[in-house]
Amino acid sequence: MKLFSLLIFLSLHLFEAPLTAMGDRKLIESTCKATPSYNLCLSTLLSNPKSSSGDVSDLGLIMVGATRVKATQAIQHIKSLYRSHPELRRSLNQCAQMYMAVVKADVPSAIQALDGGQPKFAEDGMADTAVEAQACERSFSDGGHKSPVTVMNKGVENIANVARAIIRMLL
Amino acid sequence: MMASLSDVENSITTSTLPYSYAPLPNGEQPAGNDRPVHSSRKTALFLVSVFLAVASLVALFAGNGPVLPKNLNTSAVPSTAGMPEKVAPLSRGVEKGVSEKSFHPLLGADNSFPWSNNMLDWQRTAFHFQPKKNWMNDPNGPVFYNGWYHLFYQYHPDAPVWGKIVWGHAVSKDLINWRHLPIAMETDEWYDEQGVWTGSATILPNGELVVLYTGSTNESVQVQNLAYPADPSDPLLIKWVKYPGNPVLVPPPGIDNKDFRDPTTAWKTPEGKWRITIGSKINKTGISLVYDTEDFKTFELLDGLLHAVPGTGMWECVDFYPISKQGENGLDTSVDGPGVKHVVKASMDDDRNDYYAIGTYDAYKGKWTPDNPTLDVGIGLRYDYGIYYASKTFYDQNKQRRVLWSWIKETDTEASDIKKGWASLMGVPRTIVLDKKTQSNIIQWPVEEINLLRTNLTVFKNVVVESGSLVPLNLPSASQLDIVAEFEVDKKTVERLNGADIAYDCAKNGGAAQRGALGPFGFSVLAHEGLAEHTPVYFYVAKGVDGNLQTFFCADQSRSSNANDVDKSIYGSIVPVLKGEKLAMRILVDHSIVESFAQEGRTCITSRVYPTKAINNNAQLFLFNNATATKVTASVNVWQMNSAHV
Repeated sequence: MKLFSLLIFLSLHLFEAPLTAMGDRKLIESTCKATPSYNLCLSTLLSNPKSSSGDVSDLGLIMVGATRVKATQAIQHIKSLYRSHPELRRSLNQCAQMYMAVVKADVPSAIQALDGGQPKFAEDGMADTAVEAQACERSFSDGGHKSPVTVMNKGVENIANVARAIIRMLL
Repeated sequence: MMASLSDVENSITTSTLPYSYAPLPNGEQPAGNDRPVHSSRKTALFLVSVFLAVASLVALFAGNGPVLPKNLNTSAVPSTAGMPEKVAPLSRGVEKGVSEKSFHPLLGADNSFPWSNNMLDWQRTAFHFQPKKNWMNDPNGPVFYNGWYHLFYQYHPDAPVWGKIVWGHAVSKDLINWRHLPIAMETDEWYDEQGVWTGSATILPNGELVVLYTGSTNESVQVQNLAYPADPSDPLLIKWVKYPGNPVLVPPPGIDNKDFRDPTTAWKTPEGKWRITIGSKINKTGISLVYDTEDFKTFELLDGLLHAVPGTGMWECVDFYPISKQGENGLDTSVDGPGVKHVVKASMDDDRNDYYAIGTYDAYKGKWTPDNPTLDVGIGLRYDYGIYYASKTFYDQNKQRRVLWSWIKETDTEASDIKKGWASLMGVPRTIVLDKKTQSNIIQWPVEEINLLRTNLTVFKNVVVESGSLVPLNLPSASQLDIVAEFEVDKKTVERLNGADIAYDCAKNGGAAQRGALGPFGFSVLAHEGLAEHTPVYFYVAKGVDGNLQTFFCADQSRSSNANDVDKSIYGSIVPVLKGEKLAMRILVDHSIVESFAQEGRTCITSRVYPTKAINNNAQLFLFNNATATKVTASVNVWQMNSAHV
């Protein structure tokens, strides 16, 4: 009888983990369905182990973090183009300023806002990130050139819009 | 899921244990903040003291009398002909002691990009409250105490973006000229370590001042704290003490740790206790909790809610105050009685707008009911149809009026805010009274002290603006203006016109360029000579099938700037116009903020405008009439506005 109870006890706990993971997988899926890029959202969240135990605010934080990574990479990419494309320096300079604003202001503000429970400021930060990415793209055509960073800018814009959509659910 | 009021109320229970609430839906968050950037690109201007009085400028133009417009344009198409003669005013840089030479445009500034220092410097206002640098949001604890008006505000000292917030502080004798003081409260306790958030002041009958404010704790729980002046006899109230027993309130059971903020000014109950309300939400229902207290240290949560409206989301910055049914004065927050209605106002987290409703307060039950449930809080009237949020009123016992402050955010990019070193303004303080004629809305009007900045009046009387025409108004300068105007459409045209189904919406109907029979007509402010950039503020009149007229009041930012990283929305709303009333408009232009008032303050619109060309000497003012069927007659007073100490 005791062994039986022990077996029941053990099996219940063995099943706990996968059940929880399934529940959170469901949360991740339903959250991502409400964003403009389901696949981008899903792959970004699933690649972060914290997503398996997080609530919507945590998922938002993960996405803001991913946005920061993309924006930081953008700055590095812009720096590398600076030497090879001197004719684009004016636009590249503007782009660098825009992405610095994202990394130094928008993202820290969004993290503070999600941590503290004033999600509207996090939404503003991600909304601005998308605008900065669009403004970077336009700075090339404004200067009469073709943009060498279209894919990069679109990448930041997309991930910022996903982050924004997740944060919207908290309002 | 629509919750009924009783469902919502039943889910909140009182408890004696301060932290015994349901498991937190939000897990522990990593406190991984990057340090925000310090304002890195200061221009020389920020090293110069804030605005000098423009006495010299006034003297320069004292000789000008009323001037008729030089180019009365009556052609059939909007015309850009004829530049009015302009006397070049000194650029603002010179007023601040910076050489004129620094204002020559950068290379290639024909196109608007990049944002030049010239363009960004112009954006700073002359008579709107703003800290010298970095970020501001909600107004806090406004109060008149010991001969001074106090304004506190959410302030981020480190960067022009929201972050770990402290209470900024400034004082004034006239609500217009300000002396900035040291930070009143920092994030130096565990219970406000993540932010000293919004709160309100209450003056007790013995003259004591107390403040209740929200702290974001070291674990990001929203709690309410008590603070009071360290030295009540210091008229400037520079130093503040936080009650050692803080927090005095923690989120009650059923309320999320992060949905409990912005306590109001307290008012007296029939039992002689103090009562406050705090906004929150349950699922998607916005609610306002009610607490009674005798000492501001221990509180009793009432069973019911002050009010709730399903589907409105979190109620931030709730405000609750009486207005007089008959009188012209404001009322102390504790006043109640048969001659009184009560306003409930809340800032909707969801859509970033401030909504209010007029109704009846039951002091015994602690409940409020709207006069018109279809215009309830969050779904009905707004204080302002542009950028206007987190507003808060106070009773000014000095002049017996209720005064409204509001946070006006930027609508440009963060990159620009970093470049210019600051973000956000306060709107011009406004008085609030009940609209005695309609009885169903409030009237807001800039405080009378703003008129003290008026100088150098130019009058344009009975200017006929033909259909489809544009009239430049000859002014010495057009970045700091107070415009008061009346308009009349041609009565015969209106009578002759066939009515139609009215389906006009400021935001969706194409702005000032979209012509109708009886509108749009009004002003183009911050306009460049070729109208490459301009911001129309206008009336649009529509005649319905029943022959009745509806009037809309809009502000159109769609052509306000050549820059494409600024907001270009069109804002506005219908405005009630009663029989016999002329169409009346007042516009305050103060560089990058434009505040527009229709029908003496029945409908208000605040706009942020960031031109690249229509700045300094090149900003102009036009009258326009884009209606197809009618001429419009306008009488206009335009004052230049002096700068204030802000």
